[in-house]
Amino acid sequence: MVKKYFRNIYLSFLVHVFDIPPRFLAFLMLIIFLLLPITGLTESILIMLITANLFAIYGASWDLLVGRTGQISLGHALFFGIGGYTTALLYVNLQLEPWASVSIAALIGFLVAGVIGFPCLRVKGPYLALVTMAFPLIMMGLVYYFKDITGGEYGISGIPRFFPFLGYFQQRLAEYYFTLVLMLISSIIIYKIANSKTGIVFVSILDDELASKASGINVTKYKIMAFAISGLFTSLAGAAYAHIFRSVSASSFTLSMSFIPVIMTIFGGIGTIYGPISAAYILQVLDRYVLSVRIPVSTEWRNIIYAAIVIILILKWPRGIARIVVDKLEDIEEARPVEIVYKKMKKKEESSGGSINAPS
Amino acid sequence: MHLLEVENLMKSFGGLTAVKNVSFTVDEGEMIGIIGPNGAGKTTLFNLITGYLKADSGTIKFRGEKITRLPPHKIANKGLARTFQIVRPFRHLPTIANIMVALNSPRGKKKIEWIKTPERKAMEMLEDVGLSEMMLEPAENLSHGDLKRLEIARALALEPDLLLLDEPFGGLSPIETEYMVKSIQRMHLDGHTIVIVEHKLHALMRLVKRVIVMHNGEKIAEGTPEEIAKNDTVIEVYLGKGI
Amino acid sequence: MIEAIIIYGLISSGTYALLALGFTLVYGVSGVVNMAHGSLFMLAAYLYFAFTSQLAIGIFWASIIAILATGIMGSILYRLLISPIINDEVAVLVVTIGTALIFEQAIILRFRSHLNPVPSFVSGYFQILGVKVTFASLLAFTMALVLFLILGVFLSRSKAGRAMRALSQDREAALLMGVNIERLYMMTMAISAAIAAIAGILITASQTGAAYPSMWYHPLYMSFAIVILGGLGSVRGTLVGALIIAYTELTFIFLVSAAMALAGAAVMAVMILMLLLRPKGLFGRRIEME
Repeated sequence: MVKKYFRNIYLSFLVHVFDIPPRFLAFLMLIIFLLLPITGLTESILIMLITANLFAIYGASWDLLVGRTGQISLGHALFFGIGGYTTALLYVNLQLEPWASVSIAALIGFLVAGVIGFPCLRVKGPYLALVTMAFPLIMMGLVYYFKDITGGEYGISGIPRFFPFLGYFQQRLAEYYFTLVLMLISSIIIYKIANSKTGIVFVSILDDELASKASGINVTKYKIMAFAISGLFTSLAGAAYAHIFRSVSASSFTLSMSFIPVIMTIFGGIGTIYGPISAAYILQVLDRYVLSVRIPVSTEWRNIIYAAIVIILILKWPRGIARIVVDKLEDIEEARPVEIVYKKMKKKEESSGGSINAPS
Repeated sequence: MHLLEVENLMKSFGGLTAVKNVSFTVDEGEMIGIIGPNGAGKTTLFNLITGYLKADSGTIKFRGEKITRLPPHKIANKGLARTFQIVRPFRHLPTIANIMVALNSPRGKKKIEWIKTPERKAMEMLEDVGLSEMMLEPAENLSHGDLKRLEIARALALEPDLLLLDEPFGGLSPIETEYMVKSIQRMHLDGHTIVIVEHKLHALMRLVKRVIVMHNGEKIAEGTPEEIAKNDTVIEVYLGKGI
Repeated sequence: MIEAIIIYGLISSGTYALLALGFTLVYGVSGVVNMAHGSLFMLAAYLYFAFTSQLAIGIFWASIIAILATGIMGSILYRLLISPIINDEVAVLVVTIGTALIFEQAIILRFRSHLNPVPSFVSGYFQILGVKVTFASLLAFTMALVLFLILGVFLSRSKAGRAMRALSQDREAALLMGVNIERLYMMTMAISAAIAAIAGILITASQTGAAYPSMWYHPLYMSFAIVILGGLGSVRGTLVGALIIAYTELTFIFLVSAAMALAGAAVMAVMILMLLLRPKGLFGRRIEME
């Protein structure tokens, strides 16, 4: 929490005082990430970063749905698990290459999410949260029941790696870069959607559905769209996860798994998209390095700490989760949907020689 | 053919009849007002016409087409736009983005001239209502008067054939009211057909040529502002509210 | 087979109804969806276990203390974590889920992950229609019914109870009549926690027989399935919902041989179906405007 505050001040400082455009900052961070392994990372740190890359996608996609359209999903583990199981089953039954099965898994996630979106339309707030929680439970029941297909409580293991032709450490390295690229592409796509005209419509749904309808918006269509896109990326992350950690089990569908993006967005700022992405890294470092290696803390205490942080953060901002969106939007100018408007108009004005502030 | 035709509209909530057998028509180019004491059913009527409530019986026709069972966004896209009595801005969006939402609807997209970008058109609409300076402000920072204007600009973004204004003068200062009156007159001259629900009879009576009076869900009178002002039933219903 | 389903279903629905009543009470009165409801259930079961096995306190007193302690825990939970953010439904959800997760971890830390057997009230069984029914479960069923009735009386006769009903039916009117919200909410929460505790001890002692750290999921899901089915805030709905859910669960367990998990899935599917067809539940109130 304190870290986030300082990070924002730091970034604002860089942006406003040194006049470094946030784009450049992002570019810098990218270079850092790309060159990081050169500093001589151990395998465990690579695993940490790989996990962070994938969870970043998970968090960003959740944020797009919840932070931008306001449809609370407490069952996103459904898509993560579906991604993992789909790719695993495709391998087991059809011997598909990872690239193919992961792509199909993402597609399945897209479709399932689109379908799930429909019953979710009819409910709001706590009801919606409860409905979204029900779906992973149903999946868990199905997974346990059809244990011949799904491996029941043991799940499926021996899922093939992405780069089996490489040596052990090189594989981890390759996986790191691969997931990094995946994360970057996914994040950029999600970010662009969030700050496009469609994104503006999403926020209108978050703010006032009735008014959005009055403006001619087919709210249903956009809500389903948000669900489907979110499901696609989460499934993608889940599928990649399965290939890297080589197994998938019913634990992918638990409430704790669904709670992960909640922790990340509350930590990083809900609705910002980049918030949960950065939180993914910070939390992974916290979890696997600080609290495991530096200050050894048991798993249970770590989980308690994360949940406690979430609770404290929410209690600190009683104005509501959505309120944080505005604060965060104001901190980093690049994030405002306004910016696309402003820039386009600035460009037009400059080319036509007028001024932005037309006479009123 | 009437632009809007409401026939025998009925709506009850539990035991309470909010709209009882209401019928009226609106022709293209008209500007009419709907008045009545609180609870008369005016807003319910609006909600029924614009698709937010389902009528128990009766029909609503827009350009001869039955819209009784259509959802709100489809009705909006057909050219029937509305504002809300209590403003409903998109708080987290900047003012200009509020307009751009409407411009992103099927009708909104169609109505942008190919030579303009949505941002340009949105900016022009804001100019029309005098909100250009607030363009990049999050809508939640706007004053009440500004929000009322934004509300109308948003409806106009759809370039509607029929505009339903629900208490556009609510909470406005005398100066703001004057401005609003002029804006509405201008909209009417631009060719919009307007139906206004309003309490502030001063402002309303100056604007409209025809008035419908509602009470307890029923239409009790209809006529020019002068006729209505002299109508005994109406005066009785308002009990002392001068006109 | 069918007889077993009928008999067990009936018994099960009794305790489920009680459990769900606690959940719906809090929602009806204060609008709080308490995701830690199952955790309070679990807390009581563990306290009961600890008192009877590690502290060698008799069953009766162990129960009483466990129930009281859980009730107090409920109040504390309300005061510290829910009251500050009560106006934000989503925040309440997230905070209570967080609390439930913390509870689970804390239980694991203290009691480890294995099953901890819990003593039953009475031993022995009898037969009805060829179906074996333990006295313990009969006792649980009876007690659940008795408690339900007591609560019914409390809600209709006592001042606090009537205030609760008033808040549940017409919030604004109740507020205007000067009801002391904070105190009432806290009392409701305490009662709900006590109910969860009682259900926890009853169900664990008579049916499952053991306490384990992930045991809070099932009661939570059952509670909200029942309450959504019956309509949040409706007592009648809770009874009907409990019957439907209990029978659904048992039917699946008996007829489809594997699965507790599948039965849970079936219950969830029924809940979703209800939400699709009739979002406000069987006896919930409908809101008109889109």
